Amino acid sequence: MTVQNLVGLVPWTFVAQICNLLLQMYLIKRFLFTPINNIIEKRKAAADAEISDAVKAKEEAETMKAEYEQNMQEAKTKASEILTTAQKTASAQSEEMLKEASRQAASIKAKAESDIAQEKRKAVNEIKDEIGSMAVEIAGKVIEREISEADHEKLIDDFIANVGESA
Amino acid sequence: MNIDISGARVFFTIPTNIPVLGDIQISETMVVSWLVMLIITGLCIWLTHDLKTENISKRQAVAEMLVETANKFVIGNMGESFRYFIPFVAALFSTSIVSNLISLVGLRSPTADLSTEAAWAVIVFILITRQKIKTGGFGGYLKSFTEPIPILTPFNILSELATPISMACRHFGNILSGIVINALIYAALAVASSALFGLIPGIVGDILAQIPFLDVGIPAILSVYFDWFTGVMQAYIFCMLTTLYIANAAEG
Repeated sequence: MTVQNLVGLVPWTFVAQICNLLLQMYLIKRFLFTPINNIIEKRKAAADAEISDAVKAKEEAETMKAEYEQNMQEAKTKASEILTTAQKTASAQSEEMLKEASRQAASIKAKAESDIAQEKRKAVNEIKDEIGSMAVEIAGKVIEREISEADHEKLIDDFIANVGESA
Repeated sequence: MNIDISGARVFFTIPTNIPVLGDIQISETMVVSWLVMLIITGLCIWLTHDLKTENISKRQAVAEMLVETANKFVIGNMGESFRYFIPFVAALFSTSIVSNLISLVGLRSPTADLSTEAAWAVIVFILITRQKIKTGGFGGYLKSFTEPIPILTPFNILSELATPISMACRHFGNILSGIVINALIYAALAVASSALFGLIPGIVGDILAQIPFLDVGIPAILSVYFDWFTGVMQAYIFCMLTTLYIANAAEG
């Protein structure tokens, strides 16, 4: 088997090695750099998309928050309005009720007074009648003991007058 | 004790009778080069199959790291506008390093053949010259030889040609010296081994002296420097010089 010189240029080897290096350059680009760069690019795009999504979501959340806060503010105002109105209404109503109550009480009192007076009059009259009849009865009995007409009358009147005073 | 350090063996010759180029010799260099290319390409294909955008495998992480390292190396030395040089520099580096280290499995490094380094250096020289013409125009390129004074023109031409020659010879010399030193170490250790075991008297000593025991293990330790360190270093230096020369040419 022949050997080449230890130090020397072999033309065909030289040419072959130039071709080999250029071919290797193509192969390494085709099988290492292109796929890896593609995948890095893809990952970058995915990451960018996620970041933009997050930014969008954040913006949405902020809008929602502002809306919510505004709503809360409105609700608070409304609530205090309602409260004020309710308080006003309540105080007006209670005043009305008090007035009504006092009016009713007054009317009840008046009625009771008139009732009492009537009852009193009625009772007086009844007593007068009863006393009258009793007097007549007593008189009847007294007559049996021969009392003069004049005594009789005087006795009754005195009696009635006494009763009226004591009533 | 004979030490025989020869060039690449020729497996067979295809006669072509082309002048200058001569016959095609399929040498060890060429065969091992193809093997190196197969290894690198196979590695690339293995590293980049089944790629994912998230939850990546260790294999993919390594592949991405390699690509990122190559990107950083080229862009760091040459600038962003030389992005298209990345595959070339990566091919140069990977071919060089695998060629250098393939001697560890007992094959003859393609880089132990000056033709290989000469081929690479010529490509780099063409790229440098192309970049110079691109930067300063053809006139500017020719004019640059007469600077700073016209009398220096021959020296300028010489220094221009020295660039690829020095690049090729530096790489080749380092790898060849590794081979030479390894051969010397093997031979020396065989002699030492024979002398050492020859001290044993009788037939046992005669038999043991025939076996170079010291050749086991010891050369491996030395090859850490002569094969591993030199191999990686020379690949790195070659690529470093390539990028720096081209970047320099771009600055004019």
